[in-house]
Amino acid sequence: MFGAFRPTNSMSGGLLWKIRWRLSQPQKQRQRKRLRAVDDVVATISKALAKKGETLKQLERWQAEMPTEAEMLPKDKYTIFDPKEKRYRKAIHKLPKWTRVSQRLNPPGY
Amino acid sequence: MSWFRITLHRSAIGLPERTRGVLAALGLRKRSQVVFHPVSAQFAGMILKVKELVKVEEVDRPLTPAEVKAERTPEPGFWLESYVAPLIVCWCKPRGT
Repeated sequence: MFGAFRPTNSMSGGLLWKIRWRLSQPQKQRQRKRLRAVDDVVATISKALAKKGETLKQLERWQAEMPTEAEMLPKDKYTIFDPKEKRYRKAIHKLPKWTRVSQRLNPPGY
Repeated sequence: MSWFRITLHRSAIGLPERTRGVLAALGLRKRSQVVFHPVSAQFAGMILKVKELVKVEEVDRPLTPAEVKAERTPEPGFWLESYVAPLIVCWCKPRGT
């Protein structure tokens, strides 16, 4: 009746996952932290290469195209474009491996 | 000459073969492992491929494995202020009794 193995709908087999449709406040906070961590890595590499006077096309392209965490809109931080979704947006935690992939840009106008 | 100090922060379980291959090429096998590579465009490109998984710092020299381990080892919890030779006590029966 009680405890970790109580027969709830999600525990009694079947494909019933309990994933909220939107992110919680701490999830959003951790998402911002991860975005900033990636920004830090890019900044460190860019500074180190600049000291040596070397350039890297991949790095320049990232810096030119990708917004940093501070520049991103909240909409792009926490949601992702999906053509099948109502209003074309779903929460970013629906993206597989969402904590370990970079997903910053969305189609313009959406 | 400066070096990249690269720490594997997030595991690559379930990520594409290409990503895991880059980690293997960097010499990163398990989380919290630290490797050092010289600052060059080649290694910078490899780090950028796995930038979501690693923490990177720029350092002046690569640490030896022993130094990396010393950083990770916690304090022993006690400090030896002065060494006192142990007192050897003989519990034998004295002669002539």
